Amino acid sequence: MTANHLPPKEKTSILHGLLSFLVPGLGQLAAGYPVRGFSLLISIILLGLLSIWTIAQRARFPDFGLSAKVFILLVAQSGALLLFLIALRYLVGRFALKDVSGQALTQVGLGIIYVLAIVLVADSFLSAAGSEEELRQVFGMPAVLSAAALASIWFWQAFDAARIGGRQAPASLTPAILIACLLIFVLGWNITKIDMPKAVREYQDTQIILRRIIWPWRAAFEFTVRSLESEARIQAPCPEGASGPPVNEPQDDEPWIVVIPTCGEISERDLRGNFEPGSELTITGGNFSPGTDVEILWKNPIGNPFRPRGVGETVIPVDESGGFETKLNIPEAVIPATAMGDQIHTLIVRQESALVFTGALSREMKLALVGMLETIMLGLMATFFGIILAVPFSFLAARNLMSPIVTTLSGVVGGLVLLVPAVAIAFFVTGRIAGLMGGLDDAPLQTASVALLLVTALGWSGWKAGSRGMQYIGERAPDTFSRLVTSAVMGLLTAIIGYILGIGFSRGIRSIPLGQEVAVLTEMRYAIAGAVIFGLAGLVYAYRKGIHGEISIGMIVYVIVRTLMNIIRSIEPLIWALVGIIWIGPGPFAGAIALTVHTIASLGKLYSESIESINPGPIEAIQATGATRLQSIMYAVVPQVLPPFISFTIYRWDINVRLSTIIGLVGGGGIGFILIQWIRQFQYEPAGIAVWLITITVAVLDYVSSEIRERFV
Amino acid sequence: MAREGWGPFPCFLLNIMLIVEHLTKIYSDGTVALRDVNFQVEDGEFLIVIGLSGSGKSTLLRCINRLVEPTEGRIIWNGRDITAASHNELRLIRREIGMIFQHFNLVNRSSVLVNVLSGRLGYTPPAWSLVNRFRTVDRERARVALQRVGIPDKASNRADELSGGQQQRVGIARALMQEPKMILADEPVASLDPVLAHTILGYLEKINQEDRVTVICSLHFLDLVQRYATKVIGLREGRLVFKGDSEDIRQLSDKSFKEIYGEEAERLGA
Repeated sequence: MTANHLPPKEKTSILHGLLSFLVPGLGQLAAGYPVRGFSLLISIILLGLLSIWTIAQRARFPDFGLSAKVFILLVAQSGALLLFLIALRYLVGRFALKDVSGQALTQVGLGIIYVLAIVLVADSFLSAAGSEEELRQVFGMPAVLSAAALASIWFWQAFDAARIGGRQAPASLTPAILIACLLIFVLGWNITKIDMPKAVREYQDTQIILRRIIWPWRAAFEFTVRSLESEARIQAPCPEGASGPPVNEPQDDEPWIVVIPTCGEISERDLRGNFEPGSELTITGGNFSPGTDVEILWKNPIGNPFRPRGVGETVIPVDESGGFETKLNIPEAVIPATAMGDQIHTLIVRQESALVFTGALSREMKLALVGMLETIMLGLMATFFGIILAVPFSFLAARNLMSPIVTTLSGVVGGLVLLVPAVAIAFFVTGRIAGLMGGLDDAPLQTASVALLLVTALGWSGWKAGSRGMQYIGERAPDTFSRLVTSAVMGLLTAIIGYILGIGFSRGIRSIPLGQEVAVLTEMRYAIAGAVIFGLAGLVYAYRKGIHGEISIGMIVYVIVRTLMNIIRSIEPLIWALVGIIWIGPGPFAGAIALTVHTIASLGKLYSESIESINPGPIEAIQATGATRLQSIMYAVVPQVLPPFISFTIYRWDINVRLSTIIGLVGGGGIGFILIQWIRQFQYEPAGIAVWLITITVAVLDYVSSEIRERFV
Repeated sequence: MAREGWGPFPCFLLNIMLIVEHLTKIYSDGTVALRDVNFQVEDGEFLIVIGLSGSGKSTLLRCINRLVEPTEGRIIWNGRDITAASHNELRLIRREIGMIFQHFNLVNRSSVLVNVLSGRLGYTPPAWSLVNRFRTVDRERARVALQRVGIPDKASNRADELSGGQQQRVGIARALMQEPKMILADEPVASLDPVLAHTILGYLEKINQEDRVTVICSLHFLDLVQRYATKVIGLREGRLVFKGDSEDIRQLSDKSFKEIYGEEAERLGA
């Protein structure tokens, strides 16, 4: 550099700036900042692509090619504007405002002018960018804004390159990050289709529904319609000299009507269709409910009330004092030729006015209450079954209890050898007993409990006997012999596992690309390969471990149970509900299954963590007294974990009730199931009742559960 | 397999309660807690183990009832090889060895009575424990034990309602419930004040003398060692560096004291 006397601050490399201006990041790369260069290039490309996608997506006729073209033009235009402003600023700074504050002012001014220009002249920008047809391919304002932001970032990185090229500290990242955030905000706004005017415009519609949801209690009770009614008798046709029935008198305390005259001619229609209206009646009435219309009905002498047509208004508004007045011609009425004597018609004025509270709950309210009860019970059952299964699992998933459990390899191998036949025998015996009790269909609970009992008892004794036997061999027989026996049995066991895995691999994975037949053909090959590989591995492992080599069986169980619980827990209850619905069909049982599965995993984790955090001293002390493992758990672990267990259980019940409302939405029964149906049928008042019930229940539950937990902890 | 050293029979003849041979403990993280420790304890002895924190006192006591699994060496107790005992044999041995802890290790939320009764678990059928049942004889025994340690009226209190000294007495009562032949006391007075320390050690001494129960106790304070011990062993960095009886301790010079406690140690109290 020639200008050695200049302060180093002003040393910028035009070359690097130009390089970056042509290809973003190139100047940085040339200046020896490859990471910075590449990340800038990638960021600009990504932001550009995202902008093009977004503005095309929101346009009416998306065409990505055209959008890209318009967008690039817009970026170029914004860039030109920015270039012009920067030049302007340079000139102002050079000749007018030379001091530091003046420079800052022009910098801020530049920013403001840029933004204002972009916003104000966006339309002209757009029209300059493309033809009418092209403009329809892009979504206007975000296109201009994101193009302006992208242009600014482009300039910023060129400026940055110029600085680094001139061996200066890199430009401050703050403006670039701010602009990038702004750009992403604009894009996010458009991708999520945020439309504030629409929200305001359509608020009116919500109000009507919201009002019904917020205060739905009218739908919660049964109402009957009270109808007010009054009649007047009219004679028609009116023979000579007839005066008709007596005219009604206005009443003081009940609805009344007065019809004048009470004798007249009925309307007639001749064969040509000409209508001859009957005599005009003047009807006045009083003591009706103000504000509601009255309806006029006509009852001919035979006795069928109908709404007279074509003779005047039949729906009459009632004034504030409860009275009305109207005129009506006597309608057509078929008078049978055989009719004898005076034909007396009846004019009825009926008002269906006030709804009368009957004190009974409406059908919807009853449904909602039953649904709510179902939901609470569903949560309760899920929690109950969840606890029963989560407690044993939590002990198996507690590291501090499981890690001391070690056993010799021969013990494990021997145990497994007898465990399998013992379980098989248990199933066989269960089958027999179930047959005696009437089969699985007639006595499912009994069969299940017998099975559970037998499998546990026989399995446990089989395991014990096997491991004892193997240890006995290990102690008495020559070392090499017992080592060989252990290894052989271990190899056999792992070979079985390998065989099963091989079949599974062949059926599950290979058959997808190869087709069913090929899979069946190759099945045996994979199974044998699996058996050989696993068997050899097991054999070698067991031989090297030796019969006295210890296996921390506790930690193996711990890892398996933990992993299973983590997997189950990470699957949302909603998805478990779908499984339950496929399994059982829609209804509360499916929901209960879903919640139970999730409860087991999440309570199991909470429980096992509280077991892990207990004071280990008492366990040590109880063990030192010669207590068995079971006893030390009962006396040292259980008293310590009881309060957290209770607390977590109530907390989980709380969660389960809340979740069961959600699970109902996908068909898991309970109030959610009813709620979603009402919403889909646009029955907002019952839906409002359901929402209210859920809110009340959750609030009460929340209070009760926190209250109980406080008591216990 | 031919066994070396003391067989079961001579132990009874010689009245020896405990033989520790070549005991070594290396923890899984590589810490060597005990290195080739050898000593014997006669029946009815009050043996005190001294040494700095981290010198292996606790590990030694816990190796004796195999709360900590020894890496090498043999422990013969009352004619039985503890190190070779199977799981079930170990349980039967443990129930004859009481243990008292620095932090009492009571179950705080359980009552004092249950804490004391839990000392009897080794003699109770495991299935009974599921329903929290003990023999009537055992309940009577628990009452007597609480009387012996002077807190008969606290039986129904929760353990954490008691003061430190009272909690340690519950710990002693729990050990008494085992009708032990030997008591291991792991710094029983380290979390108590000096006056209480004398009370607690007094109870231990009384049990030692009246019931002829062998006591192995680790301690920090030299004056307490001089007052109560009939035999003393000293540990330093896992090695046995001192062996002597109460006479030897009285004459223990500052020099040999420093050998046990390291150069920076100063005599306190005594």
